[in-house]
Amino acid sequence: MTNPQIEIQLIGVVVAMACAIPGVFLVLRKMSLISDAISHSILPGIVIGFFITQDLNSPLLILLAALTGVITVVLVEVIQKTGLVKEDTAIGLVFPSLFSIGVILIAKNANDVHLDVDAVLLGELAFAPFDRLFISGMDMGPKSLWVMGIILIITILLLFLFFKELKVSTFDKGLSAALGFSPFVMHYGLMSVSSITVVGAFDAVGAILVVAFMIAPAATAYLLTANLKKMLLLSILFGAFSAISGYWLAHILDASISGSMTTVLGLLFFGVYLFAPNKGLLSVLYRQKQQRTEVSLITFLLHLNNHSEENERHINHLNEHINWQKVRSKTVVDLALKNNMISISNNIVSLTEKGKEFTNLALKYIMTNKDEKIEYMKDDFFLFRG
Amino acid sequence: MKKILFIGLCIVLIGCKNPSSTSEKLNVVTTTTMITDLVKNIGGDAIEINGLMGAGVDPHLFKASEGDVSKLYHADVIFYNGLHLEGKLVEVFEKMESQQKKTIALGEQLDKDGLIGSDYFASNYDPHVWFNIQYFKEFANTVTQVLSEEDPKNSELFVANNNLFQKKLTDLETEVKAIIETLPQEKRILVTAHDAFNYFGKEYGFNVVGLQGLSTATEAGVQDVQKLSDFIIENKVKAIFIESSVPRRTIEALQQAVLSKNHEVIIGGSLFSDALGDANTVEGTYIGMFLYNVTTIVNALK
Repeated sequence: MTNPQIEIQLIGVVVAMACAIPGVFLVLRKMSLISDAISHSILPGIVIGFFITQDLNSPLLILLAALTGVITVVLVEVIQKTGLVKEDTAIGLVFPSLFSIGVILIAKNANDVHLDVDAVLLGELAFAPFDRLFISGMDMGPKSLWVMGIILIITILLLFLFFKELKVSTFDKGLSAALGFSPFVMHYGLMSVSSITVVGAFDAVGAILVVAFMIAPAATAYLLTANLKKMLLLSILFGAFSAISGYWLAHILDASISGSMTTVLGLLFFGVYLFAPNKGLLSVLYRQKQQRTEVSLITFLLHLNNHSEENERHINHLNEHINWQKVRSKTVVDLALKNNMISISNNIVSLTEKGKEFTNLALKYIMTNKDEKIEYMKDDFFLFRG
Repeated sequence: MKKILFIGLCIVLIGCKNPSSTSEKLNVVTTTTMITDLVKNIGGDAIEINGLMGAGVDPHLFKASEGDVSKLYHADVIFYNGLHLEGKLVEVFEKMESQQKKTIALGEQLDKDGLIGSDYFASNYDPHVWFNIQYFKEFANTVTQVLSEEDPKNSELFVANNNLFQKKLTDLETEVKAIIETLPQEKRILVTAHDAFNYFGKEYGFNVVGLQGLSTATEAGVQDVQKLSDFIIENKVKAIFIESSVPRRTIEALQQAVLSKNHEVIIGGSLFSDALGDANTVEGTYIGMFLYNVTTIVNALK
């Protein structure tokens, strides 16, 4: 690997990690759109910073941009608290207004400067290795690696210091207030960190990739776990994985690097969405099918329990009596047989002892409206487990 | 999770082949197709040439791919147009210059007094300088000089190639003049999609009107189309032109506006503005492109 190849991947991984951490909290607080909003609403901050310093590379621009990010969040809160509009509407109201203020400022005062929307808004990961930091003539590596590295270290430090507080204030605002750390402070602390991260990452890798790195890994991890620590670890892992494999996808296709990374993030989410053990599409479908079979089984057993007449219990007449299709009745009968709940002699189906016990329990729960207990009952009787 | 890590590691390791440096030749990277063609003419087989932009690419909107990064990294010399033609890339080149990489903005080497200033940006110039053959000759001289400094043992070859190329360009100038002579002065009105042909017009006495150049915004407004169609009718312009790297929609709208006023105007053809034609065609070289443009313009306006 050549130097820029290693550096681009390093920057990608660092940005992915720095974005994943605030991203998890944003996704959990249902505020993921705020990262997209911040990425646009910071424009007036950048423009005003440029008016003051006359230098596109001044750190003041990043500071003012981050400040505008926090202002965005405050405004969203204020509008939302009126109770007249919902949070997403409030976000949608605030960021276009701020963004257009920036556009108008540029159009009015900076039209003869190279400060168009593109120049301010779009960092390009491909060129990051060529923008290097020199300290007294020594090549210290790409500038964006330093900026994002420092942001990442600060984020991790804050995460370790305030993990408990963040956790409680994310999941239970009331409890958090009762315990003495204000959810208000936590909220704006988190938003400031997100804002600074977005601005720094924006400069390093460009807008779309930042939003993707913030939301996609966290959303993917959320499909796999509800444990906050695991979710943080998983999102960092997913982000880093997408950064590296996205880079090599771009290498193979000779395509845009940030485009490929975003594609990998999307594919990763889709894959996990399909195959996740609990929340995945396939396992949900499987579970639904199982539940249908279970309901059928209980109906079938109740039917047997209710009828002592042999003609009602003849194996070939089950279809007519309980109104099932042939295939389904076979699945159900097989399941019942496998669990030793019925026995068949001379084509007549009868309940075994275990079957009777199961049916009676089910009946009891249905009669007393304790349906949820049927779930545990299924476990007790080892349904679907050989 | 371990599996994912493992697969990721495999991908990284497979990808870790060192790109073999194929030769000891000087590695030159160029941006637009015009400059690529120019450097090919001077350097020949003695140098390794990698052009970043392909045919029909708008240099303002160029997006870098992964391969472009290693091209830039391995470059010994980078030639680009400058004058803000390549957008954000220019900034990157300027940063590379401060890192002891040889990057040459050919357009910036020209005498600024002769350049056409932009109406909107005081310090900016119209970057489409290659439509003046004289400027392109200066480009070639600069390239020869830089290549000779960087690769002294081949300097004789570069100078010889340059002499040949300068002669070809002089021939081109004579030929172009001869073709344009056949077109009467009052018919020299060139209507195109955007104002890439100002240097061409200045040199050969054409009145150049770009549809999008008329308005201060980048998109042509309804008023611009109306004004320009009146202009076309007034001056009895016979043909208007499409550009290879600009959508044809706007020019077709203009044609409809003129036709609706019962005046005949045809689309005279597609001109090459910001990029050459496909490689391996005649229009894929600077000289071929220039001749094609001139004959297309003159034939349509006659």
